[in-house]
Amino acid sequence: MDVLSALATGFSVALTPLNLFLVLFGCFTGTLIGSLPGIGPINGVAILLPLAYSMGLQPESALILLAGVYYGAEYGGRISSILLNVPGDAGAIMTTLDGYPMSKRGEGGRALAVSAVSSFAGSMGALMLMVAMAPLLSELAIRFGPAEYVMLMVFAFTCLATMVGSRPVKTLVGTLIGLLLATVGIDSGTGVLRFTLGIPNFFDGVDFLVVVIGVFAISEVLVLLEQWVNSELKLTPVGKSFVTFADLVKIRWVILRSTVIGFFIGVLPGTGASIASAVAYGAEKRVAEGDDEQFGKGDVRGLAAPEAANNASAAGAMVPMLTLGIPGSGTTAILLGALLMFNITPGPLLFEQQPEIAWGLIASMFLGNIALLVMNLPLIGLFVRLLSIKQCYLIPVIVMLTFVGIYSIHGDSFDLFFMVLLGLFGFILRKLHFSLAPVILGLVLGEVLEENLRRSLSMSGGDWSVLFQGGMTIGLAIASVVALVLPLLMKRLKARTRHGAPASELDD
Amino acid sequence: MYDRIFAGTLLLLSGLVAWAAAQFEVPFQYEPLGPKAFPFILSGLLAITAVWLLFRPSANDWQPTKNVLLRLIAALVLMYAYAAMYEPLGFIVATTIVGGLFSWKFGAKPMTAAIYALAMSVLSYFLLTDLLQLNVPAGTVFGG
Repeated sequence: MDVLSALATGFSVALTPLNLFLVLFGCFTGTLIGSLPGIGPINGVAILLPLAYSMGLQPESALILLAGVYYGAEYGGRISSILLNVPGDAGAIMTTLDGYPMSKRGEGGRALAVSAVSSFAGSMGALMLMVAMAPLLSELAIRFGPAEYVMLMVFAFTCLATMVGSRPVKTLVGTLIGLLLATVGIDSGTGVLRFTLGIPNFFDGVDFLVVVIGVFAISEVLVLLEQWVNSELKLTPVGKSFVTFADLVKIRWVILRSTVIGFFIGVLPGTGASIASAVAYGAEKRVAEGDDEQFGKGDVRGLAAPEAANNASAAGAMVPMLTLGIPGSGTTAILLGALLMFNITPGPLLFEQQPEIAWGLIASMFLGNIALLVMNLPLIGLFVRLLSIKQCYLIPVIVMLTFVGIYSIHGDSFDLFFMVLLGLFGFILRKLHFSLAPVILGLVLGEVLEENLRRSLSMSGGDWSVLFQGGMTIGLAIASVVALVLPLLMKRLKARTRHGAPASELDD
Repeated sequence: MYDRIFAGTLLLLSGLVAWAAAQFEVPFQYEPLGPKAFPFILSGLLAITAVWLLFRPSANDWQPTKNVLLRLIAALVLMYAYAAMYEPLGFIVATTIVGGLFSWKFGAKPMTAAIYALAMSVLSYFLLTDLLQLNVPAGTVFGG
């Protein structure tokens, strides 16, 4: 299908009144959630997912809503970074470096406007790259057999292990826990019950939503409680300053470079906004060498780079999710789980067989980003006021929404107990510096991985060497080895030049 | 230290997984790879990573004060109680009680917390049931 006519199909889906409303609502809610300190995109999407599911929306509408929350939250995360020096999530950490100094010297308005424009340009650029690349990737992926899928997932998990979290071993453990959780329930091949402990609720598997909400949202409440101190956060004033034309001229190439960097890092499986923004910031600092003494003290370039990159990576992460069924980040893993709940398997055929979902989503993202830019320039005062919401009013709402959401799926209290238990488990994992995103990735991909492994061995009659036959599997195997070795080399190099990127347990 | 305890638990878990997988009774099987193989592979990998962590744990930097620990336990008990009350007492009553206690624990004055929680639960009950048409329990003890 021609790209333009496909996009037209997409816009005809995205422009229906309901979907248009959902885009606007999702973006607004996302910005709101993102700007609340401590609650990043992943929690926002996780909390809203069961609500979207129970409301009986069409799959494309639900996806449009959730995606809106996702990139809306990427926009919102910068507000608390700039004004409070408190990043809402890992992807916003680099924004504090130059954003907060700017707002401290009274240029809060300018910093917010520069970051809004950079976020917008980053998203739009990445969307165009997505439109160009997604059909190509899905054409390549159409020739993937089961063996290729197995190796692709091995590659994804390798990327994840070496690039996310504090230690590769710990990321691997998280992935394995997720994969094990995915095996619970009736085996699709033989009907054998596996690891159900005799509990009927587990017969059709561990519910994806219960795990996501428990591990992310409930553990987040515990973390907020742990860090809570009875003191007011000091908000720097926004001021009357605004982005100038000179600023835009100064950052245009910065944004372009950061968008490309952000997009491709987003496409890589497992790596998301936190890595993209850190890499883009480092790259810009190196480009500006000789003129970089303002970096870290409030340079607009240092603000534009991570903002463009983390929004670009949010769009980039959607590409492998839609074309291969392999999510590029923790949040897209949740979106993938959402699609699977609607009985839609993303993959190369999605673009051909269900263009209204793939292209509808892409078109809605174009609309959503325009809406976000419009919302974020004049309405910034509203979001800023939200920052002063006290946690004593916020936390009860979060707890309530998690319970309402989970109960509405099956109407069974068992899920609530299991969710709280998983919350404790997630909290322990975070305290021991295990990343949570790999658990979700493992859980989402577990069934697909096992199925493809079994299918490829069926085709070869039990011969394991089938995993290393053909150009593509070998290529992926080599890519996995590179993904394993390269970060180690980079770390050596980086240790010489500057201190490493911030590691975070709650990756996007 | 915590890493070692956790790794030990993981090692135990991997053993349990392998043992449980070995017990599966497979009545028929057309494929070369049955339902046991994948769990076996995972359990093997988990055992390797667990042993690795046992020998090379990360330094432990989580030292909660007694106060923090008490707060966390209280929150867990509260959420557990919420789950237990949710169906029998219904959404409004359960949310008012638990929401109020949470609000209070996060620094609101008792009276403010109570009023806030009551308003929040009544308002959201009607929002959720009427507007979003979600399945929210009214409470079985009230004959609902």
